[in-house]
Amino acid sequence: MQDLVNVVTLGSIYLLFALGMSITWGTIDILNFGHGSIFMFSTFSAYLVLAETSLPLLPVVLIGVLVGAAMSLLIQVVAFEQILKRAKDKRTAEMQILIGGIGVAIIPLAIAQHQTKSNPFGLSESSYQVGTWVIGDIRITSIAALTVVVAVLLWAATAIWLKRSRHGLALRAIGVDAETAALMGIDRRRLALVTMAASGGMAGLSGVLFTYSLGAITPESGDTLLVKAFACIILGGVGSMLGVAFGAYFLAAAETVVLTQTSGSWVEAVSFGLIFLVLLLRPAGVFGRKEVRRT
Amino acid sequence: MAASIGDRSVVSTTPVLEAREVSVHFGGVRAVEGVTLRLEPGLIHGIIGPNGSGKSTLIGAITRLTPLTRGQLLFDGEPYQGIRPSAMAGLGVARTFQTVRLLPDLNVRDNIQLGADAEASAKTRPRPGWYQRLRPSVSPAVADAIRRTGLEGWEDYYPSELSYGTQRRVEIARAISMNPRLLLLDEPTAGMNQSERAEISRLLRDLRDEGLCQLLVEHDVQMMLDTCDYVFAMNFGELIAEGTPADVVQNPLVQEAYLGRKGRQHA
Amino acid sequence: MIAFYDTNLVLIQATLSGLVLALAIQVPLRMGVFSFAGAGSYGIGAYLSAILVLRQGMPGPVAIAVAVLVAAVIGLLLGLLIFKLNGLYLAMATVAFDLIISVIAINGGDLTGASTGLYGVLTDFTTGQMFALTVLVVGLVALSERGRMRRRVDAVRDDPELAASLGINVRRYRLVAFVVSGALGGLAGGMNVMVRTAIGPLDIGFGLIVLALTMIVVGGSRSWKGAVIGAVIFTWLPDVLAVIGEWQELVYGVIVAVAAVFLPRGLYGVIVDLTKWLGRIRRKRRTGGAEQPVDAPESVEPERVELDNTLSREQGGEVARMAAQSEVS
Repeated sequence: MQDLVNVVTLGSIYLLFALGMSITWGTIDILNFGHGSIFMFSTFSAYLVLAETSLPLLPVVLIGVLVGAAMSLLIQVVAFEQILKRAKDKRTAEMQILIGGIGVAIIPLAIAQHQTKSNPFGLSESSYQVGTWVIGDIRITSIAALTVVVAVLLWAATAIWLKRSRHGLALRAIGVDAETAALMGIDRRRLALVTMAASGGMAGLSGVLFTYSLGAITPESGDTLLVKAFACIILGGVGSMLGVAFGAYFLAAAETVVLTQTSGSWVEAVSFGLIFLVLLLRPAGVFGRKEVRRT
Repeated sequence: MAASIGDRSVVSTTPVLEAREVSVHFGGVRAVEGVTLRLEPGLIHGIIGPNGSGKSTLIGAITRLTPLTRGQLLFDGEPYQGIRPSAMAGLGVARTFQTVRLLPDLNVRDNIQLGADAEASAKTRPRPGWYQRLRPSVSPAVADAIRRTGLEGWEDYYPSELSYGTQRRVEIARAISMNPRLLLLDEPTAGMNQSERAEISRLLRDLRDEGLCQLLVEHDVQMMLDTCDYVFAMNFGELIAEGTPADVVQNPLVQEAYLGRKGRQHA
Repeated sequence: MIAFYDTNLVLIQATLSGLVLALAIQVPLRMGVFSFAGAGSYGIGAYLSAILVLRQGMPGPVAIAVAVLVAAVIGLLLGLLIFKLNGLYLAMATVAFDLIISVIAINGGDLTGASTGLYGVLTDFTTGQMFALTVLVVGLVALSERGRMRRRVDAVRDDPELAASLGINVRRYRLVAFVVSGALGGLAGGMNVMVRTAIGPLDIGFGLIVLALTMIVVGGSRSWKGAVIGAVIFTWLPDVLAVIGEWQELVYGVIVAVAAVFLPRGLYGVIVDLTKWLGRIRRKRRTGGAEQPVDAPESVEPERVELDNTLSREQGGEVARMAAQSEVS
């Protein structure tokens, strides 16, 4: 039972993180390798603010979200838009965005590493104290419960947003056929910016919640999560909202099984192995729509 | 030679290439349906047809880029529909594409040399020693192709510095430098002016007189009439007529399908 | 000279192994194979040669040779498994491969020294031998950028379908890219562990991919000269930048980000563009200002209002690309 609680909590963290990556990749074709850096640095910013003054949960979360959104917008304007402007075709653009993302991500990482001497940092200065509920022999922390609720709500909201709203419709139109979308008078640039901001906000949110529940993260934490989120997304199928949720909880379950059944630290290998298996056996993912898939 | 052109009954030689009942379907779309054609040595063949009639798909099928749904392909009387696209060059088939496909980082000479490289590596010919492969050298075939396509002086230019028509000439030069037995040209003169077209037409006829079998996809009726010896007309993926260019142009089916607009202009 | 060599020995060694590692990523990239597997091969080469020296008592050069061979074979197997993947998917599959290697290193128990890694790898392998091997490898790579090889590699990268029509077996070239990448990565790892005498899981993680990529991105991805420029910059920059001292990592980051966004072909690409530009000017001067050698053709790009097929050209291209890849089986 306790394992199930752990799976749901871990899966929710993955979902929050992967959701942001998924919406940019699935709609505006940007696989942002700076996402892990945004995740880490928004939390780091909250940590810096907390060093000055103690704050309750909500303002800390807000700082994370805002810093994340701002960083994401900055990367989009300074790096990705420039790359897209110059690239001669889609294939080159994809690759350069990947490399550009990795390059840009070095900067926040370097700053955080410098400030913390690569030591873990946490949000313990916050006035919010994590509580623990014990029901029978199951332990649930308040932050874990909050993470699950936020992840599920945000996921549902994003799915509805993409499905229902005019904005979401336009985004999906871009995802399916960029040219037609342009003819329909959809302002790609504005949409891309909104999407990137939302994605960055989610990265910041997941960073703060993750750090609260874990106690501390290292500046390098973002890199591992990045690869895990990639695993979640392709497992479910790029562009599929149902898929990313499935991927996140599946990965969490698989990791928990490996963690409890094996000794040593093979856990990390689960996501890497999954990437391999999915790409070889079902590249479109479990819920992938073939026509939206890009190679 | 010209007298017997088009009179298929007297042709008894093995065709260079033969397609028998070739069909290509994409899902439910019948892009090519039951096409049979023979490409004879020493003739320039043309394929005409309105947009969407299946010409390019047929070329794709012949060059093994597009998988056949049904049918048989023979080169020199030998079936070849099982080989890889890259083995086509080894048979002696050279082609150009509908759009310009030059490598942006290579100059004109190197782009053409790629064709000669293929010729050198074809199985039937002696392979070059390793030292020849590494040395930046220009094959005689390249110099010849440059001369024949009138590209002297352009050798050091890069594709982006050339006009569209000149780029197309480089592509033809690359195909020629493969010293092919069959040359497939997909709209070779698109984007060229009249004098350039005439030059290309003359070049192709010269090559024909040297015995080179050719297949042209051509939109320009005048070019087709001037250049081709034998023409296939397609519509809706099927062959609707074949014969001398003059006959095919007169064919009512063809006029209806394709020449409705353009034919009257040229009449 | 001797004094320079002695004081900078570690930097020289780092430059050499960094260069070979960069080539392990660059060679496949130049063939249009977006694979980072070279970083994993580096891990295989480093660990395997260290194990061979420590457990089997093999001489350094022999251990390296075995490691290179094994890394190349693993590269081939990996290639056979995933070379059909494209673009991003291939890139991520190879990243996963690299990270799996480092997880194996952590979980290898006594064999790999777990999280502390292996140390005390003392052999007779000298920096001189390292230099000679590196020069040999760079020479071979340089040869592949000349003449016929260069043209064919360009064709495979820029237009696989055209390459196939020119008789080039694209599948074979892509597999060769995996093998060469494996061998180069294995060599870089093997040589490095011999001169540094130690290897740990932290040396072969995500950071290694980023390091190799930064060298290529900044130096240039289309030529071995770019890899040399990148390797030299990123090994020697910390020394030169001693002024800014502790902020060196940040300066790195900015350099890489700027290069990745604005100079997609790196510093060497800038040099090439300048040379081309100068050549054009010289040509213009020679022909007395006339842009073109013969009568300027008046042809223009035709307007392609009509598409030629039931399939749109894009779809047609897609089909052709699929076919070019199905060349494969």
